[in-house]
Amino acid sequence: MNGPRNIDEFQSFGPVRETLDPAVTADADWSRHLFRAENRKGVVVEWWRHVPSNYFFLAERDLVSNEIIRTFDASQRSGQS
Amino acid sequence: MAGLDAMPVFPIMQGGAAQGTMLPSGTVALTDLTATPRFGLKGGGSAAWLTAYGVSLPAINRIGSHRGLRVLRLGNEDILLLGESADEALAELRSAWENDTGPKGYSSWRDEGWAWMRLSGPAVAEAMSRLCALDLRANKFSAEDIAQTRVGHIEAVTFRTPAGFDVLFDVTASAYFARTIEAVARHCTQHQA
Repeated sequence: MNGPRNIDEFQSFGPVRETLDPAVTADADWSRHLFRAENRKGVVVEWWRHVPSNYFFLAERDLVSNEIIRTFDASQRSGQS
Repeated sequence: MAGLDAMPVFPIMQGGAAQGTMLPSGTVALTDLTATPRFGLKGGGSAAWLTAYGVSLPAINRIGSHRGLRVLRLGNEDILLLGESADEALAELRSAWENDTGPKGYSSWRDEGWAWMRLSGPAVAEAMSRLCALDLRANKFSAEDIAQTRVGHIEAVTFRTPAGFDVLFDVTASAYFARTIEAVARHCTQHQA
């Protein structure tokens, strides 16, 4: 929306995670969901915010090279987890 | 409650928290327009209400106009109207919005939450190139463009005016911003000498 900017204009909001229903999730899976973070190599989809315009969007980031592969609006989220 | 109708006191004004802050006035001049009327709407329904009122909205990060008002589209549902030379049109729009009971978005309180300062003077382009990382040259950044970025290390909205650049930012940073511009202005002056 705003074009390329310096990284210090952005704030990270962590990876996009599936939303589990606590009522139908086993206790072990639910505690894993709450207390454990994934730590793998590969590509992750994360929430980011452009601070001056308060615009929240998604970015695909390579966890090994720290390269941002692409960014897109939350409305294009279909097919992502 | 007479106090509610009183004029708000902004930082650099008489009685404000930053009263006495010097505004540079050399090759880079700074003018405080914080007391100038403006009105911001934000949240679901804002764009629809303004369209129904007859304002034709520009694309995001572009500036349009309505009866002499400048219409700044900061986001899909985040619109700022600047009065300056069209205070009457702005007051009419504001009272129409206040009297409307239907869905209409929310006031984003830009008239008190944001400071509005104008940079002008012969060295304004050089000063902006020191203050902001973006390419703001006229062939890249036209009079209808808006940049939501950092100016002088603080989050700001900036756009071109005939005099130079206008900058909108958090009102609590007014004194800091004036000092930053002053430091940059001093550097630009030395550079030219």
